[in-house]
Amino acid sequence: MSGNFEEKIKNYRTAPFDARFPNTNQTRNCYQNYLDYHRCKKVLSAKNQKTTPCEWYRRVYKSLCPIAWVQKWDEQRQSG
Amino acid sequence: MAHQAHAYHMVDPSPWPLTGAVAALLMTSGLAIWMHFHTMTLMSLGLILLLLTMYQWWRDIIREGTFQGHHTPPVQKGLRYGMILFITSEVFFFLGFFWAFYHSSLAPTPELGGCWPPTGITTLNPFEVPLLNTAVLLASGVTVTWAHHSIMEGQRKQAIQSLTLTILLGFYFTALQAMEYYEAPFTIADGVYGSTFFVATGFHGLHVIIGSTFLAVCLLRQAQYHFTSDHHFGFEAAAWYWHFVDVVWLFLYISIYWWGS
Repeated sequence: MSGNFEEKIKNYRTAPFDARFPNTNQTRNCYQNYLDYHRCKKVLSAKNQKTTPCEWYRRVYKSLCPIAWVQKWDEQRQSG
Repeated sequence: MAHQAHAYHMVDPSPWPLTGAVAALLMTSGLAIWMHFHTMTLMSLGLILLLLTMYQWWRDIIREGTFQGHHTPPVQKGLRYGMILFITSEVFFFLGFFWAFYHSSLAPTPELGGCWPPTGITTLNPFEVPLLNTAVLLASGVTVTWAHHSIMEGQRKQAIQSLTLTILLGFYFTALQAMEYYEAPFTIADGVYGSTFFVATGFHGLHVIIGSTFLAVCLLRQAQYHFTSDHHFGFEAAAWYWHFVDVVWLFLYISIYWWGS
């Protein structure tokens, strides 16, 4: 399973179609992947496991989200 | 001596529409002046003129109908249409605020945390005071119907008692809501949750006060023998308005208090 995962990451070009967000407004897609990445990291780090599965979410949100939004959310997370 | 050959009411010239229009002008411009220059004079003047207009205009209608007999069946029919159309316009007014609520709550933005209720909002428990309020208004719907039947059956004492009870229940609702407003953990400034909550419930509360006042006027009129067992449209209009207020509360309770919590 992880071999298949590494292949998927290597062949990554851009975020694929996500049936959860079928419409033109992709705000929720960006937000959900940003949240999922950081939550995934938090949970796996708490159990002292490798956070490689979280990479997918990071790739997706980096592709989709406006940089301004990511910066704003990073600042919000830093200030608690 | 000239008589009219029709059953309609050609109203005598009256200054109240003009004073009402002037009041509207003073209130709106007064509102703008208050916001920019911090004086309430113009707005207060408009408000006083509005109250005087309402008092005198409706007093004249009561004089024309109850004392002078101008409210024949076709005239009464027209008044019924009028009240129904007015209440319909109020329905659309509230529809707008429900639209706003659902627009914001069905697809909550990331700024709210992507969820409803938004992050950081502690909602009111719908099964505490709001449920009591629902019971109070439903009970008042029963008592106002009791009052109507009492009037139709010529039971003067019961009509007065049930109408008084209806008004007391209305006051109880208002008092409970006022306490809820005071004790609420969030304010109107707390994002779109606060805005939609207080604007929708606030306008509803205003309508409860208006409805209670209308019913109180009916109580005074009933005590002074204005209503007969088959002609009491003023009371019917008040009762329709009161039922409308009750129905709006039910929608508010289901949507904002219960589903939205």
